[in-house]
Amino acid sequence: MLKDITLGQYFPGNTVVHRLDPRTKIVLVLIYIVAMFIAESFASYALMLVVLASAILLSRIRLATVLKGVKPLILVIAITAFLNVFYTSGHILVEFWIFKITKEGIFNAIFMALRIIMLIMGTFMLTYTTSPIMLTVGIEQLLGPLKVIKVPVHELAMMMSMALRLIPTLIEETDKIMSAQKARGADFDTGNLVQKAKALLPILVPLFISAFRRADELAVAMESRCYHGGEGRTRLNVLTMGGRDYISFALAVAVLAGVITLAHFGL
Amino acid sequence: MLIMGDIPQKRKPHRKEKCMSKTPILKIENLTHVYSKGTPFELSALNGINLEIGRGEVIGIIGHTGSGKSTLIQHLNALIKPTDGKIYLDGKDINESKQSVKEARSRVGLVFQYPEYQLFEETVYKDIAFGPKNMRLTPDEIDVRVRASAQFVGIGEELLERSPFDLSGGQKRRIAIAGVIAMLPEVLVLDEPMAGLDPAGRREIMENLMGYHQETGNAMLIVTHSMEEAARYAQRMIVLEHGRVAMDGTPEQVFSREKELKEMGLAVPEMTELAEKLREYGVPLEGTIYTVEQMRDALLSLKGGLQDA
Ligand SMILES: Nc1ncnc2c1ncn2[C@@H]1O[C@H](COP(=O)(O)OP(=O)(O)OP(=O)(O)O)[C@@H](O)[C@H]1O
Ligand SMILES: [Mg+2]
Repeated sequence: MLKDITLGQYFPGNTVVHRLDPRTKIVLVLIYIVAMFIAESFASYALMLVVLASAILLSRIRLATVLKGVKPLILVIAITAFLNVFYTSGHILVEFWIFKITKEGIFNAIFMALRIIMLIMGTFMLTYTTSPIMLTVGIEQLLGPLKVIKVPVHELAMMMSMALRLIPTLIEETDKIMSAQKARGADFDTGNLVQKAKALLPILVPLFISAFRRADELAVAMESRCYHGGEGRTRLNVLTMGGRDYISFALAVAVLAGVITLAHFGL
Repeated sequence: MLIMGDIPQKRKPHRKEKCMSKTPILKIENLTHVYSKGTPFELSALNGINLEIGRGEVIGIIGHTGSGKSTLIQHLNALIKPTDGKIYLDGKDINESKQSVKEARSRVGLVFQYPEYQLFEETVYKDIAFGPKNMRLTPDEIDVRVRASAQFVGIGEELLERSPFDLSGGQKRRIAIAGVIAMLPEVLVLDEPMAGLDPAGRREIMENLMGYHQETGNAMLIVTHSMEEAARYAQRMIVLEHGRVAMDGTPEQVFSREKELKEMGLAVPEMTELAEKLREYGVPLEGTIYTVEQMRDALLSLKGGLQDA
C-alpha cells in the first residue's frame, strides 16, 4: 500500500543511463523540459518521443514501471485534455447545445495530454536512474556558484539528502505502526471525516516520537564523527565528466536545436 | 495471580473441553505470499505453507533472518492478504468478508516486534484499553480486562495512571503486550517478544506469558531466535526456511536433526551442542539433550552406571 508510492524511487542498475554523471542528467532533463515546451508539431513530438524511448530502452527500466509514475495524475491529465477539446475555437466537427467540438480542440487535447505524460515520464527517468545521494551531490555542485552570494548550498543539500534518506524509513514505520494498531482493532477506513481524523492519532503520535528520536540519534552520530558543516569538506567520490557525458550533451543540444528549427518553420 | 475467568468472556468453554476439541483453531492451507508483485522488487516470501494450529498449543517458530516468520504470522489475523492459499479460523476463511477480518483481528492477537513503538495514549491504562474499546466492550468489562492484563505482565496498579513514555523499555514492552492480551485472543501470536531485553527481563516476560497460557488455555505462537527458550517453553516447534516449513515437531524431534539445522544457519541449544561434543570424545550420553536439567540427568545416570560397573 504505502510502499507502492514510486515518487523519487531509485531502481539500481548499471546501464549507460545509470552511469551518467548526475549533473549531466539534471541538465539533460532541464533541456528535455524546455524542448517539450517548445515542441508544437507532429515532427517535433515524434523527435521527443524517440528521445524518451531511447532513454527508457537504454536504462532497461520496464515501461510499465515508468507508466506507473503517471497513474496518480491520470485524472488531472484527463480533465486538462477534456477542457481543451471544448475550449479551442476552429473548424467545428460536432455541435450540440453550448458545446462545440473542433478539430483543433481534439489535436490540442491529444498534444496537451501527451506533453504532460512525456514531461512526467522524462523527469521520473532522472529519479529512477539516479540514487538520491548522487542526485543531491549533483544539485549541490550545480548550485555551487551560488555560494558566492552566500546561499548555504551545502547545508541545503545536506538537508535534502537527509530528508530523502528518511522518507522510505518513515513510510516503512507508518506501515508498521498502522499494522500494529490494526491488530488492536483500530479502524482507519470507516466512519465520517471527524472519526477518520481521530483514528489517525494512534499513528501520528508514535510516528512523531520515533521521527524525533531518529533525528536526535542522527545528529549525535554526525557530531560524534566531527561533522561541522561544509567548510573544508572533501568528497570520497569526486564527480568526473566522461566521454558519454559530452556525447549526451551534444545530442541534447542537437535535439533542442532541431525542435527550435521545427518550431521556427511551423512544421 | 488473578484468574482470567474473572474477565467477562462472550464464549467461555471449559479449559479441558478446549484442549480436547479435535478441530484446529487455525488452519493454514497452501499459503503463498509474494511481496511487491509485478515490480522489479518482486520477492516470494512464503511458498505453499500448510499448518494446523491446535487449541491450547504452545508453538515456537524459528528460522533464519528473512525466512518468512513475520510474514507468516501477519497473515494469521488478516493484516496481510495471501497471494494464494487460505487461512481458516475455526473453520471459517478469515479473508472472506470485512466482518470475518474484523473477527480474526480480535480473536487472533498479534504482538509485533518492538511493540513499545506503538504506544500512543496519555496513560498506561488508556493504552491497554485501546484494543478492548475497539471491540466495543462496556466500560466495566474494559476496566476488568485492563487491570487483569496489567497484572498478567507484572505491571502494578500504581503505574496505570502514568504516561507510558516515562517508563523503561522493558515496562513499555510489557504494556504493549498487555494491550493485546486485554483483547483476550484465542490465539496469542508474538514476534520475538524478548528481543533486546536482559536475561532476567526475558525470563520474567516468558513466565508471564506462560502464566497467561495456563490460566486461559489459549493457544500461543512465539517467534524466537533463542533455541533454549523455544525448547524450554514450547511443546511444538516449527522451523521455517525460505518460506517453507522445513521441520515441524516436538523440540526433541527438531533438535535431533542437528546437521540440517546447522545447514540452515540455525544453532541447536548449547547443551545439545555440548552433548554432541562429549559423545565425540566417547562419553555415551543417552537421549536427546537440550536443557541443563536433561544434561544433569544424563550425566548422573552415566556416573551411576560407571559406579555399578
Ligand atoms: N514489506 C515488505 N516488502 C517487501 N519485502 C518484504 C517485506 N517484508 C518482508 N519482506 C521480505 O520477505 C522476506 C521474509 O521476511 P520476514 O520479515 O517474514 O522474515 P523473518 O523471518 O521475520 O526475519 P527476521 O528474523 O529478520 O525478523 C525477506 O526476504 C524480506 O526481505
Ligand atoms: Mg521478523
